[in-house]
Amino acid sequence: MDCGRRVQEMEAPNNITIKGMLGLLSDAADEGGKKLISLGIGDPTAYSCFYTCSAAQQPLLNALNSRNFNGYSPTVGLPQTRMAVADYLSRGLPYTLHSNDVYVTNGCTQAIEITLSILARPGANILLPRPGFPIYGLCAAFRHLEARYFDLLPEKQWEVDLRAVQHLADHNTVAIVIINPGNPCGNVYSFQHLKEIAETAKRLGIVVIADEVYGHLSFGENPWVSMGVFGSVGPVITLGSLSKRWLVPGWRLGWLVINDPDATLKTPKFVERLNKYCDICGGAATFIQAAVPAIIEGTQEVFFRKTINILKQTSDICYQKIKGIACIKCPCKPQGSMAFMVKLNVCMLKDISDDIDFCFKLAKEESVIILPGIVVGLKNWLRITFAVEPSALHEALRRLNSFCQRHSC
Amino acid sequence: MENGGSPKEWRFGGNKGLTHASAVTVRGVINKLMEKLNADDTRPVIPLAQGDPSAFPSFRTTTFAEDAVCAAVRSANFNGYSSTVGIPSGRRAVAEYLSKDLPYKLSADDVFLTIGCTQALETVITVLARPGANILLPRPGFPYYEARAGFSGLEFRHFDLLPEKDWEVDLAGVEALSDENTVAMVIINPGNPCGNVFKYQHLKKVAETAKKLGILVISDEVYDHLTFGSSPFVPMGVFGSIVPVITLGSISKRWVVPGWRLGWLVTNDPDGILMKQGIVDSIKGYVDITSDPVTFMQGALAQILEDTPSDFFEGIVSLLKECAETCYERTSEIPCLTCPCKPEGSMFAMVKLNLSLLEGIEDDLDFCCKLAKEESVLILPGTIQSSFATYCII
Repeated sequence: MDCGRRVQEMEAPNNITIKGMLGLLSDAADEGGKKLISLGIGDPTAYSCFYTCSAAQQPLLNALNSRNFNGYSPTVGLPQTRMAVADYLSRGLPYTLHSNDVYVTNGCTQAIEITLSILARPGANILLPRPGFPIYGLCAAFRHLEARYFDLLPEKQWEVDLRAVQHLADHNTVAIVIINPGNPCGNVYSFQHLKEIAETAKRLGIVVIADEVYGHLSFGENPWVSMGVFGSVGPVITLGSLSKRWLVPGWRLGWLVINDPDATLKTPKFVERLNKYCDICGGAATFIQAAVPAIIEGTQEVFFRKTINILKQTSDICYQKIKGIACIKCPCKPQGSMAFMVKLNVCMLKDISDDIDFCFKLAKEESVIILPGIVVGLKNWLRITFAVEPSALHEALRRLNSFCQRHSC
Repeated sequence: MENGGSPKEWRFGGNKGLTHASAVTVRGVINKLMEKLNADDTRPVIPLAQGDPSAFPSFRTTTFAEDAVCAAVRSANFNGYSSTVGIPSGRRAVAEYLSKDLPYKLSADDVFLTIGCTQALETVITVLARPGANILLPRPGFPYYEARAGFSGLEFRHFDLLPEKDWEVDLAGVEALSDENTVAMVIINPGNPCGNVFKYQHLKKVAETAKKLGILVISDEVYDHLTFGSSPFVPMGVFGSIVPVITLGSISKRWVVPGWRLGWLVTNDPDGILMKQGIVDSIKGYVDITSDPVTFMQGALAQILEDTPSDFFEGIVSLLKECAETCYERTSEIPCLTCPCKPEGSMFAMVKLNLSLLEGIEDDLDFCCKLAKEESVLILPGTIQSSFATYCII
């Protein structure tokens, strides 16, 4: 193997999801005797330090017990839910969203699916980040939307390679996807960089799809700014949910929001098509929708602070411990979200051929699950989730270190 | 605020494939009718258009179901993501629930939990769509099949349900329609919109016909067990060893909780044909990339399916029976309306409109719009498929 050669980035495999890979790794881990610790998935609810607040749970139970919300909701979402989300998101914007700009979805996953379905047309292509979130590529394939990948630059805090974006786009490009705070990179873009992205998208005549599922979960230098702030530069479709900030991914409550104060995208025909597509989807549970206004209203800042403090603490632990492992290098300290990317130097390890091999052997020998970077688009990198309870994290990193030492040349 | 000027043209637009596909959905038509309602009419709007009686106090769901969901929420064990096929206890519970009425046992692996029956329908249609394929749909039927098929680029062809034969499937018509590209046929039993319940013998013939044609049967049983006439409900899966059957269902109707969004897609295929043909892998691939039902709802499912006492179901069914009789008798008194078959199940009846007895009414859509405006009553026009007008029997 020629280690001198620059490691080539590969296209993400088009047939595996994060959950799929993690499932395979869990199966491999069953053979070991130790307690399984997963640093694999952006779902911290397995750990007791990450639990939602009563300000979320109580309104949910109230809505259920009221018995008023057992029926179908309008397919675009209950009006009070749309209004509450519009108000909530408007707090971070220089204009006010209208409730009609908000579509309530079954989690952010469904928001992705609806957005791509709405924008797909024969011959169209969409620009996706690499590394990124594999659901975009998989969903695009299903909707016959060609996926083209632009790089995020590790040497520049994972910023978008805007020259590559301009090179990739053509008259059939419909949109560019930006994930901020970043998954899998753990980056938080600066105001200036988001502005540059907005201006580039405008020059190219394409929509920005801003995946803000980790919105507000930032703990580094850059304060988090919503892409919707640039909605008057060019239209933005913002995707989000309660899942990460409220620690309830299982509640399946998300949104798709059209940030388009100049109505460039939001023509009557477009809106009609979006409404009609929602008609043929199964949406979010009605009583959960009904609880959203009270959830947003009633959740105190102290709850949000607590989550961010734990994430800051655990991301620090990860970053510091990784520094002590010779074959793994972290180009940028995580600034937000729940995961970050580190580079694996396979040359420093004997009998490990690549990131997939590394992760399977780690699962088998140490019962620790880490996601091989190829799943998110970067071969021989690893994605590590730090939304893990601190003592479990310490133990997992200790085992990781031990594994690397054992396998080092 | 300008930044660098506008682009020469904006390159995005809506997806034209959606325009026809979703042109006609039940929700879409109901929305149109609601726009016609007279805001000055102080009488309560009477909704007889949608299969959702949950707003009526006599159709309240059982406290057993509500308690099960509350317990699941309070446990805080189900706030995380579920597996994309559904959590094991939920899948097992559905397998056991459905197996009670089958001559073989379903396994948990045959069950995929979905966001209501709507997503089960979405999944099966999407998975079957490939260039050149076609699917056979009943007419009258449920327009979401056409909408989803249209969106997925799956050609659909209609076979008739025969009002003079209790809305049975025109099997000769099915054979005539099908060709080497036909992949499946859909039946809805108990029937929406016809309110019919297929007999055992007829379902067996459907299975044999499908087998002869080499196609699978998609059986939409969202109204399962909601029968109150002479024919008992027979799940199509009973004939799973004649022809592979994919059953679609949910708790929405039997438990009167359509807003809870919990359904299933089940493969009834003791001979493993669907597996061999790659259908099961395709289903898994699709559910892997799409969203899932609420985890705590899945967590409560076993308790909901196992603990609900039979007197709750009996109560709902007898209420539906009473409503069906009222509807049937009252419509017989209205000269311009004829009901060819008394409803035996589900929540609907198909009623024929005799336009020659009406003045100033052009068609069924016009009838329903004017009825909404003048009387604040919502009924669904049969325009979607034929010149019947449908209404719900709640």
